[in-house]
Amino acid sequence: MNNKIITIGYGKVKKVKVGHQLPLVFFGGPCAIESKDHAFFMADAVGEICEKLNVPWVYKSCYDKDCRSAPDSFHGTGLESGLQILADVRDEFGVPVVSGFSVASRAKATGEVCDMVQVPAYLCRQTSILRAAAETDRPVHLKKGQFMSPWNMKNSVRKLEAHGCEQIILADRGTFLGYGALVNDMTSFPIMQKTGYPVCFDATHSIQLPTSMGNISGGQREFIPYLVRAAIGCGINALFMEVHDNPKAALSDANTVLDLQYMENVLHQAKIMHETRLELLDKFGEDNVHPE
Amino acid sequence: MSILNKRLDVGEVMLDLSRFPIVTKTTILKEALEKMDTFRLGVACITGNDGQLLGIITDGDVRRKLLHIQKPLTAFFIDDVINQAINNPITISSNMSLIDAVGLMEERRVWDLPVVDNDKLIGLLHLHPAVKALLEG
Repeated sequence: MNNKIITIGYGKVKKVKVGHQLPLVFFGGPCAIESKDHAFFMADAVGEICEKLNVPWVYKSCYDKDCRSAPDSFHGTGLESGLQILADVRDEFGVPVVSGFSVASRAKATGEVCDMVQVPAYLCRQTSILRAAAETDRPVHLKKGQFMSPWNMKNSVRKLEAHGCEQIILADRGTFLGYGALVNDMTSFPIMQKTGYPVCFDATHSIQLPTSMGNISGGQREFIPYLVRAAIGCGINALFMEVHDNPKAALSDANTVLDLQYMENVLHQAKIMHETRLELLDKFGEDNVHPE
Repeated sequence: MSILNKRLDVGEVMLDLSRFPIVTKTTILKEALEKMDTFRLGVACITGNDGQLLGIITDGDVRRKLLHIQKPLTAFFIDDVINQAINNPITISSNMSLIDAVGLMEERRVWDLPVVDNDKLIGLLHLHPAVKALLEG
């Protein structure tokens, strides 16, 4: 297996490398861009924690949330103002940024500002979306659909590769268990790593209870630290968590975002466990138990 | 008196590169099997960028894998073919005598032998045309 290293960041922002035997990388921020002031507040607060813990990170926030359950749910700030805020975050804090896009025609503009583009889980096998993502020439954060097996993500990877993209990070955000719950299959990480690309664990969406509140999704945030520790043990290369200073007032994913006050505790443990895992890797080598 | 044509070499009888399945190491197993089916041959050769032989996969390899793999069939199909292949197959050269090559097939109980000259795959010796050529001699 040829383990690929993905570099996130262009221009003057700090370059972040994700991959095999590298330090854990954090992708985080509020689910949706709410305002410039809030984005700056969150970038400052998250950045401060990451700096304190010496964890390389990428600011994540979306200008458009196209998968909300209710027709009147907050949909986002819109393309132009959202991307302007992300551009301002890059300039002000020197941190790379990532945003998802849900319409192929918006990929180009997203990639012109963002250091990485994100393909939403529900759209992870849509050819037009994947082609548009690849054509941005930015690294692509591709989330495994809740309906997809981890091995089937290779088909989506092949679509990206077919359009020239070889900078991919694969994420797990849970798999449907019946109608109202998600589970995490921790074998998804080594299976997706077989593609050669690094993998990420999306902890805050994994505890989601899809549309459990009738017209919005619920979530069991108390399980975030448990799942984070499990995923780190399974060898993830990056950790994704949406964080908010006031989850109750969050305009998107209010029931799943991690309260900022807990972030340092969770991320610190994740960093220590990741470093321990790298030490184990160094001491015992790669797992080679009952190879095929 | 023998009825066999002992003067023939492998190069005179082998299938050229257009007549048998050749795939790359990142071809998925499913696509390799489809290609084998199209050519109606039980073997596919895996080559690198310079035409070097990286491995082969045969009907028998797949059969043996099916008997012991524990992962879902869909995960098996989507694997890179190289991960399921024989990475050090027996090969022959084009100037080997045909009768010796068929003898090698009998000894190793195989129906196909990749033909490699100067580290490059140049053909495939398949049992049926080999026997036919020997008898027609």
